[in-house]
Amino acid sequence: MSEEQGMTPFEAAFHASAERHERVWTFCVIVMLALLTIGTMFYVVRDYGLVSATGAFYTDPADPAREAAFADGKIVRTGPNAYAVYVVGRAWHWSPDVIRVPAGAEITFYVTSADVLHGFEIQGTAVNLTAVPGVVGSVKYTFRRPGVYHIICNEYCGMLHHAMVARIVVTPSQAVTTGTPS
Amino acid sequence: MNIQVAAQATGPRADTGRDAGIGRDAAMRRMMLAFLVAGFGALLVGATIGPLQALNYAGINAYPSLRPLLQTYYQGLTIHGVLNGYVFTFFVTCGLLVYLPARELGVTPGLAPWRACFGLMAAGTACLLYAMFDNSSSVLWTFYPPLKGSPFFYFGMTLLTIGSTMPLPILLAMRATWKRARPGQVTPLVTYMSLVTMLMWVMAGIGALAELVLQLDPWSIGLIAAVDPIIDRTLFWLTGHPIVYFWLMPAYISWYGLLSRQAGGKLVSDPMARLTFALLMVFALPVGTHHQFADPGFSQVWRGILVVLTMSVAMPSLITAFTLGLSLEYAGRLRGGTGLFGWFRALPWGDPSVAAQVLAAVTFILGGATGIVNGSWQLDAIVHNTIFVPGHFHVTVGSVTAMTFMAITFWMVPHLTGRRLVSRRLALAAAWLWFAGMMLFAVGMQWAGLYGVPRRAWISALPHGTYHALYGAASVPLALVAAGGVVLWLATYAFFAVFFGTILFGRRAAPPPVPFAQAIGGPADHAIDAPPSPAGAGPSPLARALEHVWILAGVTLVAAAAAYVPILWPFLHHVTRAPGWVLW
Repeated sequence: MSEEQGMTPFEAAFHASAERHERVWTFCVIVMLALLTIGTMFYVVRDYGLVSATGAFYTDPADPAREAAFADGKIVRTGPNAYAVYVVGRAWHWSPDVIRVPAGAEITFYVTSADVLHGFEIQGTAVNLTAVPGVVGSVKYTFRRPGVYHIICNEYCGMLHHAMVARIVVTPSQAVTTGTPS
Repeated sequence: MNIQVAAQATGPRADTGRDAGIGRDAAMRRMMLAFLVAGFGALLVGATIGPLQALNYAGINAYPSLRPLLQTYYQGLTIHGVLNGYVFTFFVTCGLLVYLPARELGVTPGLAPWRACFGLMAAGTACLLYAMFDNSSSVLWTFYPPLKGSPFFYFGMTLLTIGSTMPLPILLAMRATWKRARPGQVTPLVTYMSLVTMLMWVMAGIGALAELVLQLDPWSIGLIAAVDPIIDRTLFWLTGHPIVYFWLMPAYISWYGLLSRQAGGKLVSDPMARLTFALLMVFALPVGTHHQFADPGFSQVWRGILVVLTMSVAMPSLITAFTLGLSLEYAGRLRGGTGLFGWFRALPWGDPSVAAQVLAAVTFILGGATGIVNGSWQLDAIVHNTIFVPGHFHVTVGSVTAMTFMAITFWMVPHLTGRRLVSRRLALAAAWLWFAGMMLFAVGMQWAGLYGVPRRAWISALPHGTYHALYGAASVPLALVAAGGVVLWLATYAFFAVFFGTILFGRRAAPPPVPFAQAIGGPADHAIDAPPSPAGAGPSPLARALEHVWILAGVTLVAAAAAYVPILWPFLHHVTRAPGWVLW
């Protein structure tokens, strides 16, 4: 390399050593990143469950049919062990505000917003979806453990954003009740 | 543009006035000082409000006692984010990225466009301050529509953004002047890094400016009735993540271009420094897409591709870790350090400028590692919009950028004013307190984020029972957040005592020179009127290849288009129009 010319002997020796160590460093970094990625993925799946986003469709915010689909926060059984839950966020509550589903069932959440951006986050899981007016996003998730999970809004939506909370009651059995209108 | 050869010695040579340009030199110093004072003035206000957010997470609601000055946590958070994230960083960067190259090249910048840059940004800041303090625009620093702030907010943001792009033509003109006098030579390192940073920023700014000029400005004054929130969100993040590199790259310039010399050594690899900046430019724009992993409406396959794109930006950071670490090791060994870590102890820890930058680099290790989490789709799902995210960017921007900018003032204010630092001990205390506070704060936030504690939420205003039901499990990390915030508060005021104390009351002394680092084997001085480089000190093939910045810019635009067209395409085919809402 041309810049090696004109170096002092100490500089040249240091420079040569640096090039050797650069290779070691690069190898170590690759191994470290791989271990970090594999380790954290394992941790995520073990503790939070797998999440798959299934896409989105679009609605006209002025369409009354869209309002009807989401107005009562429907929970629909779509298969032997599958449910669809329709959720709408509006400042500052989720509808429905209580959702009852059984553990072990595949739940597809359809989420939209009636006004500004909201964030649909179910604490203790990896369900995290932005609720956008005019767009219906969906995400699939299976609750493995019965219990009460909180839905919180994690996208700032105005004065009472922090109080926009709902609950998911995951029951141990297949018996499921409908949502309670807010 | 009026370019003249600087009347000031540059680089590592003596900083003494020469010839007839002393007036212009004084004007340059005044302008740089004005950028510093404006930027750090914004930080003073923003950082004063900052710890209130930290206390909020520990359930301590200080906001009711601040009325009528501040109405809500969200108003405070807007001011904190805008002043620290935009105004502070933009002013300091737009000063440094003109002043340092001017000194390195020995060329005087166009003072009129530099003043215009300052003026536009100052006007924008005035509009923003009005819009934020009258509580008409508590839309946070992301200003996502259809939440609707006042026209002053959006026009202020537009002026600030346009002003921040103005150093690019100034830099290009200075570089052209230098190149005419030094045909065939590659651009000196600090100027090269400054130019690449500004090129990246001007390309990245297209997103925010399109959002502001085409949507939010006319919407805010009633010219258009509705906007598409998700298209605007996408345009925002086209700028919103590259802005992180606009924050970081000036700090990297100091680490690569100055710190090695300040520590008593040399930069071990000039070409690797250039490669880092070229890669940062190319990767910066596409990487913004990872902010939309939680957004509905674009394909799953594409999300996977975006993870790979996002991870690519770790490369220049890892190169920096190696090159910077080795440069510091070289300096430490020259200073007598031996053994595996003896060189680290041998660094000049009594110099507050060096100490603050090395500590900033140490905190960046945590910032870089957590960035990998944010960039992975499945991992991001757990932490998206939780306080893990501000925990991450406080150990990147809040440490790397803020601490390095503070470190720069420790030599630059004496350099600009001819006044000695009022207290090196207090400056050192500020650096260590900032480091300790930021580590407590960030570790607490990232830990609490794993419990699903949301960012940007006034949780201390919740009823006691609700707060504990939702966030009680995270009480230990949230206490760390509050403790970190208080320590950062102390650090802030220690720093400002030194900063303003030096400007106002520092004892007169000969101004120190700009401590430009010399690369191993490279020339000692790049000034336009300096003697030619010694034989054999020519640039490497890599440095020559990277000199083609316009080709790199073209590659960047292609990469950005490749990342964003598949996202925007479905949105543009399903435009949704939402009216504005004022919900605070």
